Amino acid sequence: MAERVGVYICHCGTNIAGVVDVPEVTRWAGELPEVMIARDYKFMCSSLGQDLIEKDIKELGLTRIVVAACSPHMHEKTFRGAAQRAGLNPFLMEMANIRELDSWTTDDKEAATQKAKAMISGAIQRVLFHQPLELITVSINPNTLIVGGGIAGITAALELANAGYHVYMVEREPSIGGHMAQLDKTFPTLDCAACILTPRMVDVGQHPNITLLAYSEVESVEGYVGNFTVTVRKKASYVNEELCTGCGICEEKCPKKVVDQVFEAGIGTRKAVYRPFPQAVPKYPVIDRENCIYFQKGKCKACQIFCPTNAIDFEQQDRFIQFEVGNIIVATGYDPFDATRIPHYGFGRLPNVITSVQFERMVNASGPTGGRILLKDGTPPKSVGIIHCVGSRDENYNEYCSRVCCMYSLKFAHLVRERLPDAEVYNFYIDIRASGKRYEEFYHRVMMEGANMVRGRVAEVTDVARTADEEGKLIIQVYDTLLGEQRRIPVDMVILSVGVQPRKDARQVAQLFGLGCDFAGFFTERHPKLDPLLTMVEGIYIAGACQGPMAIPETVAQGAGAAARVAGMIGQGTVVMEPIKAHIDEERCSGCRICNNLCPYKAIVYHEDRQVSEAISALCQGCGTCVAACPSAAITGAHFTRRQLMAQVEGILLDVRQSMEASST
Amino acid sequence: MATTTVSQSSTTFSQSFYASLHEIAGGEKVRTCLQCGTCNGVCPYGYLMDYPPGKMVAALRAQRFERVTEADTVWMCVSCYACSEVCPVRIPLTAGLMTRAKEELLLAGNIPSELQVALENTQRYGNPLGESPRKRADWAKGVKPRVPIMSEERRPVDVLWFVGDYGSYHPRVQPVSRALANVLNALHVDFGILGAEEVSDGDSQRLAGERGLFEMLAAKNERALSQYEFKEIITGDPHAYNAFKNEYPKLGIVYPVRHYTEFLAERLDALKSLFKGEVNARVTYHDPCYLGRANDVFEAPRQLLSAIPGVELVEMPHNRTTSLCCGGGGGGMWMDGFHWEKAHTRLSEWRVREAMQVGADILAVACPYEAPRFEDATKVVPGASRLIVKDIAELLAEAMGD
Ligand SMILES: Cc1cc2nc3c(=O)[nH]c(=O)nc-3n(C[C@H](O)[C@H](O)[C@H](O)COP(=O)(O)OP(=O)(O)OC[C@H]3O[C@@H](n4cnc5c(N)ncnc54)[C@H](O)[C@@H]3O)c2cc1C
Ligand code: SF4
Ligand code: SF4
Repeated sequence: MAERVGVYICHCGTNIAGVVDVPEVTRWAGELPEVMIARDYKFMCSSLGQDLIEKDIKELGLTRIVVAACSPHMHEKTFRGAAQRAGLNPFLMEMANIRELDSWTTDDKEAATQKAKAMISGAIQRVLFHQPLELITVSINPNTLIVGGGIAGITAALELANAGYHVYMVEREPSIGGHMAQLDKTFPTLDCAACILTPRMVDVGQHPNITLLAYSEVESVEGYVGNFTVTVRKKASYVNEELCTGCGICEEKCPKKVVDQVFEAGIGTRKAVYRPFPQAVPKYPVIDRENCIYFQKGKCKACQIFCPTNAIDFEQQDRFIQFEVGNIIVATGYDPFDATRIPHYGFGRLPNVITSVQFERMVNASGPTGGRILLKDGTPPKSVGIIHCVGSRDENYNEYCSRVCCMYSLKFAHLVRERLPDAEVYNFYIDIRASGKRYEEFYHRVMMEGANMVRGRVAEVTDVARTADEEGKLIIQVYDTLLGEQRRIPVDMVILSVGVQPRKDARQVAQLFGLGCDFAGFFTERHPKLDPLLTMVEGIYIAGACQGPMAIPETVAQGAGAAARVAGMIGQGTVVMEPIKAHIDEERCSGCRICNNLCPYKAIVYHEDRQVSEAISALCQGCGTCVAACPSAAITGAHFTRRQLMAQVEGILLDVRQSMEASST
Repeated sequence: MATTTVSQSSTTFSQSFYASLHEIAGGEKVRTCLQCGTCNGVCPYGYLMDYPPGKMVAALRAQRFERVTEADTVWMCVSCYACSEVCPVRIPLTAGLMTRAKEELLLAGNIPSELQVALENTQRYGNPLGESPRKRADWAKGVKPRVPIMSEERRPVDVLWFVGDYGSYHPRVQPVSRALANVLNALHVDFGILGAEEVSDGDSQRLAGERGLFEMLAAKNERALSQYEFKEIITGDPHAYNAFKNEYPKLGIVYPVRHYTEFLAERLDALKSLFKGEVNARVTYHDPCYLGRANDVFEAPRQLLSAIPGVELVEMPHNRTTSLCCGGGGGGMWMDGFHWEKAHTRLSEWRVREAMQVGADILAVACPYEAPRFEDATKVVPGASRLIVKDIAELLAEAMGD
């Protein structure tokens, strides 16, 4: 074969060269019959390194390039660029990943060197069969879907809408706002959550560029970056939004009270027809079918009778709405940890043990107690214990630190003393994590205000008294690690600072959008440092607490950041896509249709007349599922042809091949 | 205060102890201790130990482990698994750290004399009570049909019943063994016991630091067991259960084993058809450390109790994983005097108080240490004399009209 191959081997500082004998590999590669030139360099990705390649292409007339370095995820683009600048089709460059797949996996220098040779040999054999390909350009639909209307989604939506782009916001609950709407004041500045949040909610509700689909969920997503088709189920609310004025008479007249497990976290009630809170956006109430007397018993209709605009419609059905978007931001947030999982803290058994989310509702002026901190018997507590790290930093539950609990626990100490100046407050902590801007200062302030800080993770909360002064109290048993003593501290109320964890349906949502989840179930970003907002799917971004525990400032930064990324994409107008597509050879296709249902992108159509299948290249994402499945070997994946792959395998097996040849002679 | 100089050249005691922890399953996790103190806080004797588990880790890290072995309060550890249960980084504190520390105390000769006696008895007679091995099956006299002894039967049986030390010898627990024999007979279970060939399972001796003795006892039991054919082992003693389930297999002694409550819970329908009378009582159940926390058997005993006609089962505030230790584990059974001297209270009394608090008539147990311990406590706790302590086997037999 007359191809002229150049091989470039990177040291990557000591990342590769510390384990792989790079000079030896270079010497070996240079002697291969296919190879015209082999070079090594400290950092191939540097501009000097790239220059080497470009120069050789021009001067030696190289027709194929192999770069042995890191993962193609990191630098395939870089080296394709170098080839292109020198006038070579970028797809005639192949990388051998001798870092992630080799030097980082072992300390065994000899084995690593041998493996590097095998991988380079595979790349050389493969690149000989490469064909020049052209990138595909597709246009980007300027509309954006935002899933989840918490502060992350709200921020992203307003950024895009204000920039002049249309946004579809899909929120599962009857109102947007997310967890922030439940909070009273926010650390570290103690501004009132509602005061800073509700204006933004109103903006979302009224913005001409935002289509708000509340009480809705995404049913399906099809397509690819720039061109997604989204189907949303708008759940029947039994309230006609065209007619409803949001006056609230229905809520007033509804005779059925329901404990509100979502917004009021189980300590308050709502009606069967309800808005979660007065400032809800949109303003329309929904009827909760499970609890509605009419739906359950066939009689009642109080809401319908009293509605002045005749907006109640018991016949309403779920509606399906379909639209096209170019990009998607997933901002579905978090769930609080379920405190009943820790039996020794007594939540669910001991009445005055409450969770932090319940406490937020309790201190909130618009909450069920009108902002008063009360025990179950209606009296205020004289002492309150706040237990940090509930369900966090614990391998039995969630191993990670939830990042917000230390700070909101300190905030609680402040709020208790603000409302009940005579009450004693104890904070039980392992470490105080106050690493955000003005957090440490807030910690000092709370200590100055008189919070009793006890360093030790609480062992148990019990109502079993051992002494007279413990009678009728909740006793917190803890080892004070600084004092070096076990202590039993009687209090009236215990607040469990529950951690932040992935939504319980996070994995299903991930599947719907094709996202990855980390071990805990938070959505994974493309790169933990350099690309925290994009996911592994082009065109789909994540923002806020669905990505990991974070407080409002970071959440807002992520929401705005994701919006900026999307705006950038829209501004670009088009996006280039890899030309790696499946092609079905009609001559070989037997019409068995096995591939038709396997394609995750629904990119394969079947032609009844000719009885053959066809892969539509605009839809094909090049995943290769059909290629592997076709029993007639009729499907080829561009840049992953059988010939290329077999050649690569043979190349990798060089060792085996050589020894077999040696023994046969 | 003078600072201790840390030896750089040779391995210190702390270092070698630390290294030895790595040989225990999961023992390397000690490196990740957060110093959160949960273990020290939950320990029933944490308030008077000089070095509760977390502080022991701190002492190790500071290379001051000598001080731990000089403190006799390590012997307050009753191996109850309370600390292991709550440790957020899952360090094997009970089976690893505390047990290893006791081994060191033993080597250093820092050992309460009572415990010394029990260990010597075990060494000499094969049981900590110092009873004659020949009398091991005496409890079974009078049970009808007769309790088969393997060496006499010379035939395969379905179930080998490992009776254990207290079930064999202790006057309060022998009736429990007879009750269980009656229940097994009524269910027509084909079973046999080892009789004089059985020796102590050794688990509590192991947890009290006597690993060598434990291994010797295990080998003796294996010698007896290996002569016979049976499908599984059952036992009424959660400590023996723990030994057979988790420790013997490490020595290559592998048999399927179940606690009798698990075995019987599988035969609930057959049992129900045998009940003749009612046990009209409010019953509360105490989870033994080695059935519950250590081995996660929580439901079988409750299923049995709930099946007895007339029983109203109520839970104490501390139940299942949060159960309170009776004080008998890890050698505590043989250190009552020592523990009393340090604490002037007994753990069993807290348990009895809680049973009273929930208005129980009967405190049901499933471990041979417990009936005697709790019964003693009912005599001390004010107003508790009306509380009846019964093993589940006794209650079952009673409901069968035994
Ligand atoms: C007790 C407590 C107190 C706190 N106090 C403070 C504080 O003082 N200061 C501070 O900075 N931070 C505080 N935080 C943290 C704060 O709550 C979060 O940073 C913030 O709420 C994260 O916002 P988010 O938009 O990412 O998620 P969320 O608030 O969870 O919003 C997500 C939204 O998405 C919707 N959604 C979920 N799944 C779907 C779906 N599949 N389809 C459609 N919609 C969906 C939800 O209904 C919700 O509206 C506190 C947290 C807790 C638990
Ligand atoms: S096993 Fe029980 S007694 Fe021993 S240290 Fe742990 S909690 Fe304390
Ligand atoms: S509970 Fe575990 S992590 Fe916490 S101090 Fe004890 S041993 Fe260390």
